[in-house]
Amino acid sequence: MASRRGRIRFNVGGKIFETTATTLANAGRHSMLGALLDDSWNPRQPVEGEAADAEYFIDRNPACFAVLLDLLRTGELHVPPNMPEKLLNREALFYGLLDQVRAARWGPFDGNRLQLVDSVSGRAPGDGTAIRAGPDGGCCVAHGSMVHVYDWMLEEHRPISLDYQQVNDVGYIDAESIVISARERLGKGDGGMGVFSSSTGELRHRFRVSHDNQVKSFTAGALSLGSSDYKIFASCKGRCNEYGIGVWDQITGQQVDFFYEPPGCSLGDADKLQWLDGDKCLMVATLFPRTDNCFIGLLDFRDKSVNWSWSDAGTSVSLSLDEKRVLHAIAIEDSRSICVVNQYDDLGFIDLRSNAGGVRWSSRSKLTNRKAPNEESCYPKLATHNGQLFSSMNDGISVFCGPEWVLTSTLRRSYGGSICDFSIGGDRLFALHSEENVFDVWETPPSLTI
Amino acid sequence: MSAQKKRNFKIEAFKHRVELDPNYAERTWRVLEHAIHEIYNHNASGLSFEELYRNAYNMVLHKYGEKLYSGLVNTMTGHLKEIARSIEAAQGGFFLEELNVKWGDHNKALQMIRDILMYMDRTFVPSNHKTPVHELGLNLWRDNIIHSSKIQTRLLDMLLDLIHRERTGEVINRGLMRNITKMLMDLGSSVYQEDFEKPFLGVSASFYSVESQQLIECCDCGEYLRKAERRLNEEIERVSHYLDVKSEVKITSVVEGEMIANHMQRLVHMENSGLVSMLVDDKYEDLSRMYNLFRRVPDGLSTIKDVMTSHLRETGKQLVSDPEKLKDPVDFVQHLLDEKDKYDKIIRKAFNNDKTFQNALNSSFEYFINLNNRSPEFISLYVDDKLRKGLKGVSEEDVEVVLDKVMMLFRYLQEKDVFEKYYKQHLAKRLLSGKSVSDDTERSMIVKLKTECGYQFTSKLEGMFTDMKTSIDTMQGFYSSQYSEIGDGPTLAVQVLTTGSWPTQPSAPCNLPAEILVICEKFRTFYLGTHTGRRLTWQTNMGTADIKATFGKGQKHELNVSTYQMCILMLYNSTDQLTYREIEQATEIAPSDLKRCLQSLACVKGKNVLRKEPMSKDIAEDDAFYFNDKFMSKFFKVKIGTVAAQKESEPEKQETRQRVEEDRKPQIEAAIVRIMKSRRVLDHNTIVTEVTSQLQSRFLPNPVIIKKRIESLIEREFLERDKADRKLYRYLA
Repeated sequence: MASRRGRIRFNVGGKIFETTATTLANAGRHSMLGALLDDSWNPRQPVEGEAADAEYFIDRNPACFAVLLDLLRTGELHVPPNMPEKLLNREALFYGLLDQVRAARWGPFDGNRLQLVDSVSGRAPGDGTAIRAGPDGGCCVAHGSMVHVYDWMLEEHRPISLDYQQVNDVGYIDAESIVISARERLGKGDGGMGVFSSSTGELRHRFRVSHDNQVKSFTAGALSLGSSDYKIFASCKGRCNEYGIGVWDQITGQQVDFFYEPPGCSLGDADKLQWLDGDKCLMVATLFPRTDNCFIGLLDFRDKSVNWSWSDAGTSVSLSLDEKRVLHAIAIEDSRSICVVNQYDDLGFIDLRSNAGGVRWSSRSKLTNRKAPNEESCYPKLATHNGQLFSSMNDGISVFCGPEWVLTSTLRRSYGGSICDFSIGGDRLFALHSEENVFDVWETPPSLTI
Repeated sequence: MSAQKKRNFKIEAFKHRVELDPNYAERTWRVLEHAIHEIYNHNASGLSFEELYRNAYNMVLHKYGEKLYSGLVNTMTGHLKEIARSIEAAQGGFFLEELNVKWGDHNKALQMIRDILMYMDRTFVPSNHKTPVHELGLNLWRDNIIHSSKIQTRLLDMLLDLIHRERTGEVINRGLMRNITKMLMDLGSSVYQEDFEKPFLGVSASFYSVESQQLIECCDCGEYLRKAERRLNEEIERVSHYLDVKSEVKITSVVEGEMIANHMQRLVHMENSGLVSMLVDDKYEDLSRMYNLFRRVPDGLSTIKDVMTSHLRETGKQLVSDPEKLKDPVDFVQHLLDEKDKYDKIIRKAFNNDKTFQNALNSSFEYFINLNNRSPEFISLYVDDKLRKGLKGVSEEDVEVVLDKVMMLFRYLQEKDVFEKYYKQHLAKRLLSGKSVSDDTERSMIVKLKTECGYQFTSKLEGMFTDMKTSIDTMQGFYSSQYSEIGDGPTLAVQVLTTGSWPTQPSAPCNLPAEILVICEKFRTFYLGTHTGRRLTWQTNMGTADIKATFGKGQKHELNVSTYQMCILMLYNSTDQLTYREIEQATEIAPSDLKRCLQSLACVKGKNVLRKEPMSKDIAEDDAFYFNDKFMSKFFKVKIGTVAAQKESEPEKQETRQRVEEDRKPQIEAAIVRIMKSRRVLDHNTIVTEVTSQLQSRFLPNPVIIKKRIESLIEREFLERDKADRKLYRYLA
């Protein structure tokens, strides 16, 4: 119990600490320390004088307690170099202070202030499919038929194994649940999509597609998780030409809609889906089509119409070497445009306000073209976050800001091969390299308290 | 430890440690189970939180989370079953008390158990999709206590009984009620709703259904509404004291439905106390209550509004068609204004200034004012009355108030042009006779008409004012230039009126006396000398004169008479007796006017300066008139009015009507031409609608007349019928 002048004494693993009730209040009632000091566990009122000697014994590591107590006092985390992070995290979990530790680790995401904090080597041999950032700072990496899951402490959890089905895309519903879309194997009736637990790797739910009230097996491609209305979108290919975009409810897991592929718009093969909250429609980009042309469109599910579309049909007649080919696309709602990138890492913009506009290319390649001739390169990828545009090329990621998209930062690590995928989430950026199966973790340092 | 030795057998290490102490989990669980027992037995003071927390932590760490969790469920269930037995055993009223005490204990225990098992709550529970400890504790309480067969119905019955007792006037322990309902809410909104709210609403519905049936049989409308309002407030208060806030809407809608919606028609139409009698007796408080209660139910306000509207229309119709009222236009309009005031006040005081009610009021007035086609005339007469004398000594603000009210009635008129006609006549009379109380008031009225109907409406009225002003200047000019030549003759005051601005009746000029003719000629020469190219016509029917007269015993009086009367009286300067025919010959006054003049000179008691043979009320053509030298009056000045109905006589009315109709023709034609000029081709029905909407601010044109005007325009080749479609008209530029 609080002694005179609110001082509290602890004996942690034999070492004495003294602090104040005010400092401990920062731990919150729902922490071990909060409960320890709560009235219900300290029924007797201390008699004056006697209380000074009362101390709380805790059978834990004193060095870690010192670090955590310092965190409660100052709000900053300073870990001595000889203390393993794992150890500190374990102790923080014991005291129920893990959230405070996490909050003190890194600050709000800013593409121009990123620091490389870790590079994690995976077990799989290179050639990752995708990396996705989780909402709490964790991530998952898809390799073939496996998905490796890491929590925010970058501890690897039990991997999710899909019994030799090729994983096409992954996404987080929340920190605890991961959606995986997989390719159907001929004659097996498997594939499709499922929700898996990120901590145990167990299958929680399988998403079904039914056509004419008949459940059919399908191959699920790109995923998009609408944040505002709790929906999941996926490009689907059924066995009997049931191509299109399926929609499920995140909470019930039931199929709520299906957008069948209209002629001239390949939806089932889409490489990128993005839900646009403002327009209440879905951007679909099919950039590596089987037969048709590249296609980017905005789908309105309310009346099943294609609001806006773009295609390279006209330009690909004479596909020469100089021809610029769109390899990835992302919609930027704020500037009412879609940003695309080509094989020379040029950025291009398509105006969403006019329906027949072409790509307005910016000639970045002339300025920054540093492609090594023999290096195996990956297709470039794009992402946006808080008005910043990110574009991967080779082994680096460029950050663009402002209305004119000026290059402001470049994130690069010198080994591991070129970046095959990257993802932003939980105030972190994860970049997956193609050759060494290693991913980099970038975060913004916590802002200094003055 | 021995694990150290076996370190190199990495694969075995995990298994081995478990084997080392097979009773570890069981032993640790015993410690925790004991602690839970102690907590439930209020004996927690001997427990060490740190030790218990550490034990629970270790169990989870060593993968005994499942055992810990299921152990918790079993232990807690055991305790709750015991608690259920002790609650079941409680007698009568102590049942709720016991439930409340045990609920408090359980919550406290749950809090402490949660503290101990905090680590499990954080790690094991989410990753294994279990229910968190706190929620688990509530669920177990719900399943073992609230949903136990011996408690569930008893609890509900007691709660409903207590509420029933409170409704019938008993005092109950509201604090206890609040705790119990709070418990049900804490267990989840579905528990509160299913186990309490639904039955509560059902019981309430039947309670109020019975009560409202009883009340409506024995109470009048006002009293019933008072009781309903009190019940409503009681329920709202009940919710605030011990029910969930969300229940308020539900229970009030039950009361509203049972007590108001179900009896709405009967209440409104209740004999001697329903809405109509409330309106008649200005029962603001009751009306306000009715408004506020009825507002809560669907169609409530429209019910009130409909009844009010039909009542208003009925009484209004009676008012405007009552032959008694029609005799006195001023009184008639005053009644309308009073009626309007009355309802304005009701709407303001009782109906919350509700816009829809105001609209209903306006439409009702518009409906019945226009039922009587003399309304425009009467309203103008009312203004005339007010501006002549009614507003003498009244402050400027009050004058404005009266005028504003008149304007309000004016707005209801559909035939505003008729009003304009009459207003012009009345204004002319006021101006020429100098009877207007105040120029400012007159002008203020004109401004109001102007803002309401626009410049065109009032331009002629304003012209009349200008004429009056220039006339004063002209007269000054006349007298200052000719003062010496005039000498001692009669004084002339001329008002030069612009033709067109004034409502002049073409009257046959009468023969003026020679004295007057002289000065009139002088004025004519003076005026035409300054204003060339104008023509002056004397309007002898509109003038007045002051003449001095000496009677038999030498008494002198000043007589205030009209021009015609002056002409007649001047004849008696030379003789004492004249016959009707002689007067008619000498003056050449039109017979109808002459008769009226003679009537006022000879037949009005106290003002009979002439004597008629034979004595009778009416003037016949062979009557003779004598100078009455026995004339007596207390006053020096005697005003001899003209016997003339203020109200128009039937033929005059017809005439005014006809003139209005004539005036409308060019207006309708102008509107048609304006519309066709911009639209070029239009069908008949559209023209009619457009014309009606354009002219609405002045009058409601009759479609038949519009059709006639169109035909006339076709004749004059402004329009033509389309050759293919006869319904279409084409504009011919």
